[in-house]
Amino acid sequence: MDSSSHMASLPEDIITDEHLQQQTQPASASAFASVPQRPPTKSSSEKYAPLDWSVYFDKEDDVAIPESNDVFHVYTAGTEGPVVFCLHGGGYSGLSFAVSASKIKEKARVVAMDLRGHGKSLTEDDLDLSVETMCNDVLAVIKELYSDSPPAIILVGHSCIILLTIIGKKLLHHQSMGGSIAVHVAARRSLSALAGLVVVDVVEGTAMASLIHMQKILSSRMQHFSSIEKAIEWSVRGGSLRNIDSARVSIPATLKYDHSKKCYLYRTELEKTEQYWKGWYEGLSDKFLSCPVPKLLLLAGTDRLDRSLTIGQMQGKFQMVVVRHTGHAIQEDVPDEFATLIVNFISRNRIGPHGIEIPGLRKPAFSKP
Amino acid sequence: MDSVPSNSHGNLDEQISQLMQCKPLSEQEVRVLCDKAKEILMEESNVQPVKSPVTICGDIHGQFHDLAELFRIGGKCPDTNYLFMGDYVDRGYYSVETVTLLVALKVRYRQRITILRGNHESRQITQVYGFYDECLRKYGSANVWKIFTDLFDYFPLTALVESEIFCLHGGLSPSIETLDNIRNFDRVQEVPHEGPMCDLLWSDPDDRCGWGISPRGAGYTFGQDISEQFNHTNNLKLIARAHQLVMEGYNWGHDQKVVTIFSAPNYCYRCGNMASILEVDDCKGHTFIQFEPAPRRGEPDVTRRTPDYFL
Repeated sequence: MDSSSHMASLPEDIITDEHLQQQTQPASASAFASVPQRPPTKSSSEKYAPLDWSVYFDKEDDVAIPESNDVFHVYTAGTEGPVVFCLHGGGYSGLSFAVSASKIKEKARVVAMDLRGHGKSLTEDDLDLSVETMCNDVLAVIKELYSDSPPAIILVGHSCIILLTIIGKKLLHHQSMGGSIAVHVAARRSLSALAGLVVVDVVEGTAMASLIHMQKILSSRMQHFSSIEKAIEWSVRGGSLRNIDSARVSIPATLKYDHSKKCYLYRTELEKTEQYWKGWYEGLSDKFLSCPVPKLLLLAGTDRLDRSLTIGQMQGKFQMVVVRHTGHAIQEDVPDEFATLIVNFISRNRIGPHGIEIPGLRKPAFSKP
Repeated sequence: MDSVPSNSHGNLDEQISQLMQCKPLSEQEVRVLCDKAKEILMEESNVQPVKSPVTICGDIHGQFHDLAELFRIGGKCPDTNYLFMGDYVDRGYYSVETVTLLVALKVRYRQRITILRGNHESRQITQVYGFYDECLRKYGSANVWKIFTDLFDYFPLTALVESEIFCLHGGLSPSIETLDNIRNFDRVQEVPHEGPMCDLLWSDPDDRCGWGISPRGAGYTFGQDISEQFNHTNNLKLIARAHQLVMEGYNWGHDQKVVTIFSAPNYCYRCGNMASILEVDDCKGHTFIQFEPAPRRGEPDVTRRTPDYFL
């Protein structure tokens, strides 16, 4: 809570000279004290100043899970249409979808959840990022939000794809098993809570081949930041993100303040979760392909498909879009294009607030009078 | 029979010989070749008539050495008549050599080879899936890519073998009931995102009846009731199409009234599938010939990027 309140105390408006003075003071006591540090220029500070979530989302909430001490933070936007339920990648937060949410909400509702150990969510074990635990977390949040009558949900996952296929199956299973209110189940038997699946830039074969490099990649990141502005600047100039506006709103949520070191560190200690990484990706291609709802795979490059997905794509099992001029975080780097792809996917597959809306399409067109 | 001067034939034969060794033509040679091809193709119908015997082929996707294997197995052109159902480029390492060879064979033996348009014969698709980048790499500019993608607009959309076998890359369209519907529209354009021309290049057959939204994001899926109606209306016996990878190289559907033919073995150098071609003899008998990938001769060094952040 300390780090959260500290971040909340930051001014929303332009940073004043006085605040700059306050900022330089902690830096002088940090591990970098021996390195003379030039104060950032005003224009640089303004360029990388944090942006509040409320610029893009309509609302934020804490969802407390009954019979546990876990509380998950969710951001929401929009009031009509199916729910685009967003699951961020490892080390990101729900605010990774902030800029694109402001576009998607014109056509659908958006829910972006901070997963365990990320953002403002607080759990008893923030390092347990196992598939099973995180799946249960997401299902619990959906249950708290919608009880036994969930709307049509399009699951959108950045990297943590395994969550989607397993959660997707449980949503389907939940529907067929019925909830505690029989009338709702009876009325909705022909509808499924899960209406679509969107996967953002992850492929099993490529991800598995990359895992051996991951600790090195994580350790090669800049680890300490004298200010939030510095962290935002590094994420954009250091290459992981390409959209400054998105970085300004999403990066602050990935940080926490270390009072002893007097600097900002990553909120999520990903390097301590290595035992779970393999489980995130193993078998996901086949699970993705066997999920029976409309599917969209967004990739930042064409050379990332493994064997299963190459075969599946060439058999017409799912839609694939290669998004150019973007890095790994497609929803951050090109939020307008990302939002358009989501909205077009919903429209093309006729996904309404309660599922597929025009089953009549399957009738032969030739029978028209 | 051909009216072209003998010296032009000579040049073309030399070019074909060069291409058979997987050596690309110069940009200027490509330009001249495609100008001739355009003149030939613009005279062809949207439903191009083809006589038997003919060997019908599916996707190639730039796998040049597997195309060479196909010719070894099926017979050389012009000794064997061929009908290719599109998707010559993208994915494989040799789209340039593959499509140049097929166009050169078309110019040299116009009555003995028919080349249809696939969904990858498109400006938008080729910029994403490899042909554009390959042209840049091999020619130093995008001129050859532009020459070919302009030519693609002239490729026929479908073919009709002995008035009985309807051949096309993808599948049927809710907007098309008769072959005359296809004959009547202007095909010389970029592949649109939707509509009948898009559907012909993108649709897939389905086990479920009726029309469905294609999971691919373009085109439709069509059931047996649809293909039966279309075949009956147009006095057809068979729809032959490509577009889908099938592990055995070919796959029957809709009570043997729709067949999928895929001619890129070990697709993308990773799928492990067989390829096949369909021989239609002059008594209208059908024979599938399956084949494996050509023996590998070291792939070109296309450097893989260091993996970025995947968690």
